Amino acid sequence: MKKYGLLLLVLMVSLTTVLAGCGGNNAGQGSSANTGANEAGGSNEVNAGSSGEEAVVEDAEPFTVSLRHIQIGDAKKYRKAILDDAVAKAEAEVPGLTFELDGVEDEVNRFTKLPAEMAAGNPPKIFDLFGGEGDALKYANAGRLLDLTPILEELGLADKFLNMGQFTLDGKAYGLPIGGSTEGFFYNKQLFAQYNIEVPTTLEELEQAAETLKSNEVTPMAMGSQAAWVPLMLANTLIGRYAGPESIYGFRDGSAAWNSPEVVAAFAKYKEWVDNGYFTKGELGVTYDAMLNEFLGGKAGMMFDGSWRASAFANPDLVKEITSEDVGYFAMPAVPDGKGDQTAVNGNYSNGYGFSSNLNEQELEAVKAFIKHLYKDDMQVRGLLEDALLPSMKLTDAAASEIEANLEDPVVKQIMGTMNEAGEAFSHFDSVVQSDVYSETEQQIQRLIAGESSPQEVGDALQQAQEAANAN
Amino acid sequence: MRSSLRNPYIYILFVVPTLGLYALFFFYPMLTSVGYGFTDWNGLEETNFIGFANFQQAFADSDFWNAVRNNMVFILFSVGVQVPLIVFFAILISQVRRFQSFYKTTVFVPSILSTAVIGILWGFMYDPEVGIINQFLGLFGVETIYWLADSNWALPAVLVTNAWQWMGFYIVLVLAAILSLPKEINEAASIDGAGGFRRAWYITVPLIKPIISVIVMLSIAGAMRVVDIVLVMTKGGPVGATDVMASYMVNRAIRYGDYGYGTALSIMIFAIALILTALYQLTFGKMRERVEF
Amino acid sequence: MSTIFNRTIPHLILLVYVAAVLVPFAFVILSSMKESNIDIAERPFGLPETWVLDNYVTAWVKAKINVYFFNSVYLSVTSSMAGVLLAAACAFALTRMKFKRVSNWLYQIVLLGMLIPGNVLFIAQYILVKDLGILNTHWSLFFPYTAGAVPLSVLLIAAFMRTIPNELEEAAIMDGLSAIGLFARIIIPITMPALVTVFIVNFLGAWNEYLLANFFISKDALRTLPTGMVGFRDAFQTNYALICTGIVYSVLPVIVLYAFLQKQIIEGVTAGSLKG
Repeated sequence: MKKYGLLLLVLMVSLTTVLAGCGGNNAGQGSSANTGANEAGGSNEVNAGSSGEEAVVEDAEPFTVSLRHIQIGDAKKYRKAILDDAVAKAEAEVPGLTFELDGVEDEVNRFTKLPAEMAAGNPPKIFDLFGGEGDALKYANAGRLLDLTPILEELGLADKFLNMGQFTLDGKAYGLPIGGSTEGFFYNKQLFAQYNIEVPTTLEELEQAAETLKSNEVTPMAMGSQAAWVPLMLANTLIGRYAGPESIYGFRDGSAAWNSPEVVAAFAKYKEWVDNGYFTKGELGVTYDAMLNEFLGGKAGMMFDGSWRASAFANPDLVKEITSEDVGYFAMPAVPDGKGDQTAVNGNYSNGYGFSSNLNEQELEAVKAFIKHLYKDDMQVRGLLEDALLPSMKLTDAAASEIEANLEDPVVKQIMGTMNEAGEAFSHFDSVVQSDVYSETEQQIQRLIAGESSPQEVGDALQQAQEAANAN
Repeated sequence: MRSSLRNPYIYILFVVPTLGLYALFFFYPMLTSVGYGFTDWNGLEETNFIGFANFQQAFADSDFWNAVRNNMVFILFSVGVQVPLIVFFAILISQVRRFQSFYKTTVFVPSILSTAVIGILWGFMYDPEVGIINQFLGLFGVETIYWLADSNWALPAVLVTNAWQWMGFYIVLVLAAILSLPKEINEAASIDGAGGFRRAWYITVPLIKPIISVIVMLSIAGAMRVVDIVLVMTKGGPVGATDVMASYMVNRAIRYGDYGYGTALSIMIFAIALILTALYQLTFGKMRERVEF
Repeated sequence: MSTIFNRTIPHLILLVYVAAVLVPFAFVILSSMKESNIDIAERPFGLPETWVLDNYVTAWVKAKINVYFFNSVYLSVTSSMAGVLLAAACAFALTRMKFKRVSNWLYQIVLLGMLIPGNVLFIAQYILVKDLGILNTHWSLFFPYTAGAVPLSVLLIAAFMRTIPNELEEAAIMDGLSAIGLFARIIIPITMPALVTVFIVNFLGAWNEYLLANFFISKDALRTLPTGMVGFRDAFQTNYALICTGIVYSVLPVIVLYAFLQKQIIEGVTAGSLKG
């Protein structure tokens, strides 16, 4: 037993020297050393039972595990605090472990860094991951993601999650949603009161409200379309209304078409609102943060955004004219001639963490500890109370009553109320369609906004991309 | 006696490290690019040889040709607008006696800053709300222009930023050439007296043709290379209005994972660069017979 | 009368240009000390309502500008140093040693590199550094920066070395110097102006580089100034005062350095281009 402990120690020392020698490189050379450590660990298991693990605990050789997160900037500080706590607890539990946190802007991570790292085969050990065809499932298919099924079994989390659909491939789990979200309209109660606007319950009232705001030189809806996923949130819900909640899932299996009259009607409505000047001027140059800023500054009456944004209204670090008390929330009203359930709302469990399939023993321990401390009731409760992130896990009665007792944020309460009234939930198509199609939707929505494509052209181009992707 | 200059081992010692590094990081990637360009490699799935399919796709890819067009606008702007201004300012600085070194030092400053920082700085200048450019134009009653969000204005806005960064550098180059001319010529070309600037222009420009040719070449090369400023300021948007070849190529490869197609595009870009070089040699290159480069 | 007129006009025109260069800096410095976006928007050139220096503390802490700055300096210096030395050795062998035919071939091959716009190789280089196992280390930038500078450096240095009279080295060899001694003791000192030029050109190239730095490095602690600053901007998009502070931090040291070395920098760059 001692022999193996020593062997492991030697291997780990050589591993750390290799790492130090190439300036903290954990890519190529690191991975060859990793393989060595893996083999040693493997033979330990076969020959000497648990001696490998004991050696790790006793020797406590320092090691680092890279962790890519997207919780940067003032608007996300609560989410960062929760992450930091889980990280600290996991570090305390696994001797020698240090997480190396790398904060990258959401879009940069999702669309630039992570795809490149996945293609190169050197993603961080733990990373922020989106579910669905274009992200988690694509990487899982290529063997880049750790199969979490055994870990979930071990930690007793196997059926704790509300919805793992976007992270599940062939019955195996490849990522864990950190929270749930819905999308709808936030509105500024002060401005609504000032201009005698009632909370819209029909599409007509919504448009009337926009007209009133516009005539008073207030931006009706804050919108930051520099990143296309932002306007796509609204487009997604419009499609859910006009073409029915099922259509979102239908693009992939061919039961719905992007150029069907209903989907085109959704794009046409979007275009109509653009032309009517309901959105922020120059929206194609406005960032997601700037859109929030406009709303917080009391310069826009409404803002279509995800429920996670509710935490920003209570955040004292953001300069603003309004508090959470001044913010209301309502779901997209029913549309005339809309198909399917007109009370359905968008519901997502698509953002969370994924883990590299290339882990050694130690790193696997670190991952387990990380999951154990991040995915549990009290963190989920904190997520909702501090950060307006809806739970992604089934909560115990104790946790549920804690939420009930402590939930004070008026905006979060309204969001939850709205969700309770909804007949059903539909996903965002970004987690359903293939990444080529999703990329095309990003281009097309901006073309639509810029007036370079008509709603019909948008639908036709998307359907063409969809058919090409389905054929592959 | 002179044998040490004939010693092949020393020759190898001197040449191999440099050329080895150059070969590994320059020629080898060039060769592998050609290989990858004929595959559908995406980094995640199995890679197949697909012949010329990527190139066929590229020829039909209107977004790519839009990026090519934008690159050409960059080149035309650099050569057609910037170069005359550069020569104009260089002559002007060469003519003043007082503050000459102050002007020289100041105009050079932007070219030592990092492009990314300049992109951020000018993004702020162009901001529709707090940016100073709209504030300034507002004084003349111009309505807010959404510079980086408007398909019509985004490219000019990036072009101006790029010019702001590099013009000073070229002005200093041309200025040095003018100041190295024989003193009598500069005196004859003095803008004092009748004729003024026109005379200075007609006397000086023919004598600095070689350096003008050099800056034309550097401008074309610079415009072909431009990508950082685009990625930082607009990421090629809105709707491709500022996409250049390199940003489009990088985007296809990284964001879409189309590495095979991306390398095919890079081969196309290389071909376009060769064509431009040939065109340059046939036109401006002839002005340079005295300069060996 | 017309003389005064003629002497004033150029200054006026030049002052407009100087203003265009300096105004952005003034705007950024003033903005960095303002409390809110509103203060910036309403009076872009007014002095801050209240002078806020907190931004400077906050930005320093949040942006790790010192780390980015150090990374940039040391990468740019080492890679341009290495580039200059390698190019000088190569140019020496190509121009001064007696292997004319091989040298001509090699020289043409190096010149061919001038035709390749560097970023065309981006994808293939990405794969290469990945295969070498140096992705996400500073080596992944050091090698491409050094290698990328080879063509222009060899070209400029070789052009300079060709102008060195043969008699000089013949005399040196008479004195018993070997090729290496000749290179180190005679050629390098004579070529120094060209080397300085090449160093400065390479330094600015590496200092500015964004594309590779953005994709080859993903660890925050290894980021260079350009990518670090863009990350900082992405994180604090709407806090303009804070971003301006970041800009000031990243620009100031360069300006200070330039103030001291402007003569060398300008002379280096211009001498190089004229020699070429």
